[in-house]
Amino acid sequence: MADPFDAALDLLRRLPPSSTQKNLNGIISLRPELEEDLLSSVDVALTSRRCTKSGRDYLCCDYNRDGDSYRSPWSNEFEPPIEPEDAADLIPHGRVRRMEESLNAGFDVYRELYYEGGISSAYLWALDEGFAGVVLFKKASSAGGSAGKGGWDSIHVLEVNESATKRSAHYKLTSTVILDLGMSSAAVDSLELAGNLTRQTQQDLPLNGLRDAEVEQGHMSNIGRMVEDMETRMRNLLQEVYFGKAKDVVGDLRSIQPLSEAERDRAAHKEAISKMNRG
Amino acid sequence: MTSKQATVASFVESAPPGELSNVVADIKALASSETESLEPAFKKYNEEQYTTVKLPGGSETALISKYNSLGGTRYFDTASQTSFEVDHASQKASNPQQHPLDSRSADLIRSLQKSFSTATAEHFPSSTIGVFPAESDSAITILLIANKYSPQNFWNGRWRSTYMLDPSSNSLQGTIKVDVHYYEDGNVRMNTSKKVEIGSGASTADAVVREIAKAENKYQEELNRAFTALAEGSFKGLRRQLPVTRQRVEWEKISGYRLGQDVAGGRQR
Repeated sequence: MADPFDAALDLLRRLPPSSTQKNLNGIISLRPELEEDLLSSVDVALTSRRCTKSGRDYLCCDYNRDGDSYRSPWSNEFEPPIEPEDAADLIPHGRVRRMEESLNAGFDVYRELYYEGGISSAYLWALDEGFAGVVLFKKASSAGGSAGKGGWDSIHVLEVNESATKRSAHYKLTSTVILDLGMSSAAVDSLELAGNLTRQTQQDLPLNGLRDAEVEQGHMSNIGRMVEDMETRMRNLLQEVYFGKAKDVVGDLRSIQPLSEAERDRAAHKEAISKMNRG
Repeated sequence: MTSKQATVASFVESAPPGELSNVVADIKALASSETESLEPAFKKYNEEQYTTVKLPGGSETALISKYNSLGGTRYFDTASQTSFEVDHASQKASNPQQHPLDSRSADLIRSLQKSFSTATAEHFPSSTIGVFPAESDSAITILLIANKYSPQNFWNGRWRSTYMLDPSSNSLQGTIKVDVHYYEDGNVRMNTSKKVEIGSGASTADAVVREIAKAENKYQEELNRAFTALAEGSFKGLRRQLPVTRQRVEWEKISGYRLGQDVAGGRQR
């Protein structure tokens, strides 16, 4: 019999992606012991909150959460406030917080350049031999009517292992994009295209610099470039799958051109080609 | 029904085309005791998805739906004039009996069966149809199911057409539903539905079938246009391929960029 956790993940890959949260809750009600592992492995659309200190929006995920409180990457405080002992463990400071601040600032610019709106957030935490983090983006489409509505959520989880010499580091990136599109018009009562795709990559990248500030800047640039490359690849892949593949499958189910006509065209085409080859 | 039974039943109900057995295997691994209660969910799935079964004793296939249900787990097929038992869990037919077509519109049903069969072969590489008396024999329902499964390429698709013909007024209406699932390193689902009103006018089987083909062609063309509208409308509006500068970000210089609203002429969030 299959492992229940694997079965849960397989099931969530088959059931409608627009009901992932509902189905996740359903699976947890069947197997409560899987709750923690499932919540940290399954990607659902991101929610946002406004940071009362800075007035800026930030994105919420398991990595900046403690109970019902979330940590704002702008103020570096939990809202609502949490117990000081927990805060001491969960709030980053020193090198990790410096890099987190610089990633948030960098991705804020990146977000405006590529998304022209939306919200971005990055959260980092220390590891024994490096650090790990998550970079998040969320954008809703303002186009309406027959151009449809849409939502894009990016969740990038990264792990950075620094070499002893600090001349390079090993970066691992697992990226998921959740993309929901829909429209309704007189001609097509309803068309829903919803889903998510995940890709992974890892690279060894150089760090040029000896002083801490230079190494930190190096990490920021390496991570920025990796995320940018990955998102560009995934945007192209999503376009291919959502508008290429899905459309092709409909064409495989039913042909607008009568099949006998298509067969005659194919035979005529073959005939013409072989005549050309002979001549 | 307990809430656990309702949960696993809803998993069956929303299973993607061609993957019901995978969903059932997952349910078994998560809650094996609940699989005993799935019979009604399987029946509902088979009747809604127009599941096809091989007719016992031959190579013909028939589809099952609420329209050709004889109650319980027995269904009838117009083309072969037989009725049969269906085991919903295994989707197998058995226990065939003769079931002559008994309807006021028997002639029309038989010609529709023939015409529709020929017409659908022109558009669907593979499909199964069903023409049955409906609404206490005051109407005729025309059904079509076409499936394309490619699990080795991680995709499956299903097209379902449901039409209702009122022979007294010649009014024809229906619904077309298409469901596609793509799941290579991800989970993408396309669902579309369209109500079709063909008004009145077509009275012969050939005319009805021609109207249906016209409506389905029109719908498929509109659907292809809708894909393009989404690609150029809301998809483009989510994330650009490149910044307006047409260059990738220079990460070393990013702290020199002016942040947030200043970049690219400012914008409301």
